[in-house]
Amino acid sequence: MRGYAFSDGFEDRLLRSLGRDHDLFGPVLEEGVGCRLKKVAAWGDLTFGELPLIPLKKYLLPPSDPLWNWTEEGVSPAPAPERPVALVGIVPCDLVALNYLDRVFEEDRNYRLRREQLITVGTECEPGEQCFCPERSELPSFDLFLGRGRLWTGSERGEKLIEPLREEISVREEIPPPDLNPGTAPPLPEDLEELFNRSAGLPLWAQVGNTCLSCGACSAVCPTCYCYHMVDEARPDGSVTRSRSWDNCFFRSHALVAGGRNFRPSRAERLRFRFEHKLLGFGPLRGVPSCVGCGRCRSACPVDIDISEVLAALTGRETS
Amino acid sequence: MTLDFLPVPAVIESIDRTVADNHLFTFRLDTPMTVHPGQFVELSIPGAGAFPVSTAGRSGEIFEACIRRAGRVTDALYRLREGSRVALRGPFGNGFPLEVLSGGDVLLVAGGLGMAPLMGLLQALLADRRRFGEIILLYGSRDPEAILFREQLESLARQKRFRLRFSVDFATELPWTENGFVCKVGLVTELLEDLEFAVGDAAAAVCGPPALYGCVLEELAELGVPPRRIFATLERRMQCGVGQCCHCVTSGVFVCRQGPVFSLEELRAMPGSI
Repeated sequence: MRGYAFSDGFEDRLLRSLGRDHDLFGPVLEEGVGCRLKKVAAWGDLTFGELPLIPLKKYLLPPSDPLWNWTEEGVSPAPAPERPVALVGIVPCDLVALNYLDRVFEEDRNYRLRREQLITVGTECEPGEQCFCPERSELPSFDLFLGRGRLWTGSERGEKLIEPLREEISVREEIPPPDLNPGTAPPLPEDLEELFNRSAGLPLWAQVGNTCLSCGACSAVCPTCYCYHMVDEARPDGSVTRSRSWDNCFFRSHALVAGGRNFRPSRAERLRFRFEHKLLGFGPLRGVPSCVGCGRCRSACPVDIDISEVLAALTGRETS
Repeated sequence: MTLDFLPVPAVIESIDRTVADNHLFTFRLDTPMTVHPGQFVELSIPGAGAFPVSTAGRSGEIFEACIRRAGRVTDALYRLREGSRVALRGPFGNGFPLEVLSGGDVLLVAGGLGMAPLMGLLQALLADRRRFGEIILLYGSRDPEAILFREQLESLARQKRFRLRFSVDFATELPWTENGFVCKVGLVTELLEDLEFAVGDAAAAVCGPPALYGCVLEELAELGVPPRRIFATLERRMQCGVGQCCHCVTSGVFVCRQGPVFSLEELRAMPGSI
């Protein structure tokens, strides 16, 4: 990582430069709409201190993602994605979430094709009331990171991207790494897995499950919820497109198998399943919590279910 | 490795319709695929969807699977005829560990359609017969008409290549006998009661509905079969096969990728798995 100093107006010139080869998207708050990742042209278009409701995962894992096409002639892979995207003004927790998805989809063709041409321009966050991120010891990866009068490059690609603007910036050895976040939440307890495993019979899950509407809003807005199901679209000419489409572990069908057996039939079980993924991770990422503390889920929940309160109840500690 | 989810096109070569709603399908693949016993493929009926199915025998240029008409996509398969084109993606999962099963007697305990993956395993055991002690199949079905692979099993058992015992939940004609084989009306676990085998270095593979696992796995352990040599294969909703889509996750474990075959020792550490 290298730190640079720059002068006024550099951010806009950087975005103009990136915009030549990329579609730029960044968080923009609009009256009556909320904050979302929207096409932008200038640094001033961005809204700071607001998280886009639907996180950046939608650029790498679109709600509907064609995998292959089937015709009489055989199977062919879905076309590679369109124009490269640059995501600008991305706060550290969303970069951490992106790093998590990078690990889950490391080998995935469609994800890799999009990821390889996705540029991230991070920025320091202004923690909102909803956040509860833990203190982070490691910087998430990024291509570029912009702070007040400071620019950091986090990848070779980042270095290349600032090439055309080299004259406007100066390397400063003394620049410390970007300020990630103040880390308002205490670290997760080391025995969390044990506490979680012991919690199966606790009334906690039934209590929270009783208020849960199974609407799935929390998973839709979560930057590290990525589960999907397969959907076929058949056309009159006999061709078929198989896509993966966002699924949701709160839906009854999530663990349902043919014949009617459901391995997570109750809301309480489905709720516990989601928290297991958020707090403990699945498979090879067991022990790596997927929750980044952005707080989108607790602000999106129509019945005020709060992951930090559930965690507090589980561990017997104070809420943040 | 790149996960591109591209399936291998295949054609339905034959359909054995002996048992109603549990037909044995033979597919011929455009590109050969080796599927070990206990592993599975995602079988696509383009336009309808896909479902996971384990191998019931041969694989390579040919893939054999016993498929129950159980839902929307299998129903679409049942409407196809010989010559129809489908697609297979796989193989997925770990399969039965033949090296752990080898050395002593091997008990196969099947309930209902659970016979299908065990048929694949039985054939693999018989193909390498000397590595195993006695092979004993305990096979429980709903009724005598629901017995899968009946002719094949009885013919192999008559050649003394393995021991075969049947049980059924109910039979219309009593006493029920099946060509001289031990037959009981009752639970498949009752076939264990007077069974003689060398417990100490035995191994077991169990496949059937969840209710079967609830009783038989621990019962085998109580008889003295070591829990790390008792295996079961878990049924779950498995769509991706590669540990991504999350439907099959049980106790934090991707059943599709880390399983679907687990030892009892592993299952004991996975609350909610059986």
